[in-house]
Amino acid sequence: MRIIRSDIYENLKMALSTLRANKLRSFLTVFGVVIGIITVMLIASIISGIDVSVKNEVESFGTRSIYISKFDPGIRIGRMSREERMRKELTYDDAVALQALPAVELSVPFLDITNNWFGGKLMVSGGGKTSAQVALQGTLPEFEKAGTQIISEGRFFTQTENDTNQEVCVVGSKVADDFFKLGSPVGQTIKIGTQEFRVVGSLVEREQFLIGGGSDDQNNVIYVPFNVAQKLKPNADDIYILAVAKPGLMEEAKDQVRDMLRIRRQVPFAANDNFGLQTSESILDNFRSITAMMAVAMVVISSVGLMVGGIGVMNIMLVSVTERTREIGVRKAIGAKRSDIMWQFLIEAATLTGLGGIVGLSIGWGLTLLLRLLLPSYVPLWAPVGGLIASIGIGLIFGIWPAWKAARLDPIESLRYE
Amino acid sequence: MSNATLTLSPWETEVKPTTPLDGHDPSMLISMRNIWKTYQMGTESVHALHGVSFDIPRGEYIAIIGPSGSGKSTLMNLIGCLDTPSQGEYWLNGKNVSEMDDDELARIRNQEVGFVFQTFNLLARATALHNVELPLIYGGIGAAQRHEMAKKALTAVELTDRMMHRPNELSGGQRQRVAIARALVNRPSILLADEPTGALDSHTSNEIMDLFERLHSEGNTIIVVTHEHDIAARAHRVVSIRDGLIEKDERIK
Repeated sequence: MRIIRSDIYENLKMALSTLRANKLRSFLTVFGVVIGIITVMLIASIISGIDVSVKNEVESFGTRSIYISKFDPGIRIGRMSREERMRKELTYDDAVALQALPAVELSVPFLDITNNWFGGKLMVSGGGKTSAQVALQGTLPEFEKAGTQIISEGRFFTQTENDTNQEVCVVGSKVADDFFKLGSPVGQTIKIGTQEFRVVGSLVEREQFLIGGGSDDQNNVIYVPFNVAQKLKPNADDIYILAVAKPGLMEEAKDQVRDMLRIRRQVPFAANDNFGLQTSESILDNFRSITAMMAVAMVVISSVGLMVGGIGVMNIMLVSVTERTREIGVRKAIGAKRSDIMWQFLIEAATLTGLGGIVGLSIGWGLTLLLRLLLPSYVPLWAPVGGLIASIGIGLIFGIWPAWKAARLDPIESLRYE
Repeated sequence: MSNATLTLSPWETEVKPTTPLDGHDPSMLISMRNIWKTYQMGTESVHALHGVSFDIPRGEYIAIIGPSGSGKSTLMNLIGCLDTPSQGEYWLNGKNVSEMDDDELARIRNQEVGFVFQTFNLLARATALHNVELPLIYGGIGAAQRHEMAKKALTAVELTDRMMHRPNELSGGQRQRVAIARALVNRPSILLADEPTGALDSHTSNEIMDLFERLHSEGNTIIVVTHEHDIAARAHRVVSIRDGLIEKDERIK
């Protein structure tokens, strides 16, 4: 086969001039390809953004932290089973028991009093503002040692303040910003329910994945002493526990925590745990399942786009072959071989989809810049490279049939074609 | 040329082969022996040509004339290697074309045949220069050399100042001259013109025919296929086709 570089260059020039002559038609034809490539760019950048966020999240979560809650962590699909609904709460004593385990350095209980018995929220007001969106947690001063929250100003409350039911609190960065825009929150008063609390410290802003807002925002939180929380909401029993493993003993700590809780919660041998353990590893797994789902969505959406684009290209190329029957006849008469005609139309189709790919890449690039306002993301190199290869490949694949039809035309009939 | 006074003798019914039926003449540029072309129309076989034989020496200016349906177009397609005969031998420049496959025919058309069409058949979006370069692209000639050759060919047809014009910016006569430049750029063995003046007014027609005459005097072999007697009369030899046979083959100059 004689495919020299100048052939491809000539064909490319011819293809570009043909496309220039039919700008609108060409653009509409490759619209599917454009959509497909935009999808690749966007989702690749979202996945990268999730990766970055998860890394930050895991860092602030602490690689030695184990969160223990009544329910299994992760995304719940469908209703809870009867067994799940019947699970008993974790207790303060569970936390104390875990503290005694050899591989556990620290164990802190949290009492969630954000929701009252009826699911309503405790109102928080301060600095002339009232909100029901703040997460309220009762905990112990040891929490500070876990290192997942860092005091930016003031101090954490003390064991004495807990034991003597002092109405003091430590506020998350968002609470500090929302209620005390001007000046420091430390020393200010904030009202939780009907009680007034003195702010003794505020926290450094925590990195988190996709700001949910409201009480899901991990910076929109107030920590009060555990005992005070119990007094604030006497029927509260929504407890979770943060256990921190000793350095290098993460696996041992997990096993010991699991065994201890199974005993304390009387889980029969061979039955599943009736509680959930969450570690940075399990968070990573969760996010990996999210990114995997997005990757599947990306492949599906972009391949639908590319297929639609490909069929559009095939259609328009078939039209083009018919329109240019005479031209093909002339080319054959002056010495174009079948392969020459075949390449001409293949390169034209690939140029069409390749340009569509470039348009998609540009639009997608712009959108990822917008996305960056929401999510710390970047565009991994494989996305534009793969996208461009895929779009050109689509042109080559879907161009085969029209090109073959063109190559096979009889020169005499084609020259006679009106 | 005083072609107006030329009268062609009435068609004769008796057919006499003007060349021997067996063996081609290697001294000839074109040597056709007992060429048949049969088309299948449903269950019926239609013979467009039945047993045509003739020779064309190098440097001849020949007209093939005949009414429509005479087999003239079929013969032209065979001479131009756009088609192969159903039967018989066609030797072009020492090569047996009748047994070639598609790609070999394409190569022969590229190297040995220069086509000139009634409707010019230039690429509308390409400049005159690019149109003339096209056969060279298919001939695998590099860009620089291609440019030179195309410019030379356009100069030969006196279009030096129109090289960068597109066909729609050129007059009919200029377009046909671009087409002639395209036909000649590869230095083919034959220039094969199919009704080259069919789309031109009589003044421009004369110009084109004068150009053919000049090209002939420069040594080109020219075959003009036409149904117009005054165009045929400018040739030096006229082959008349009727009902798929050579009716008459006469030297008029």
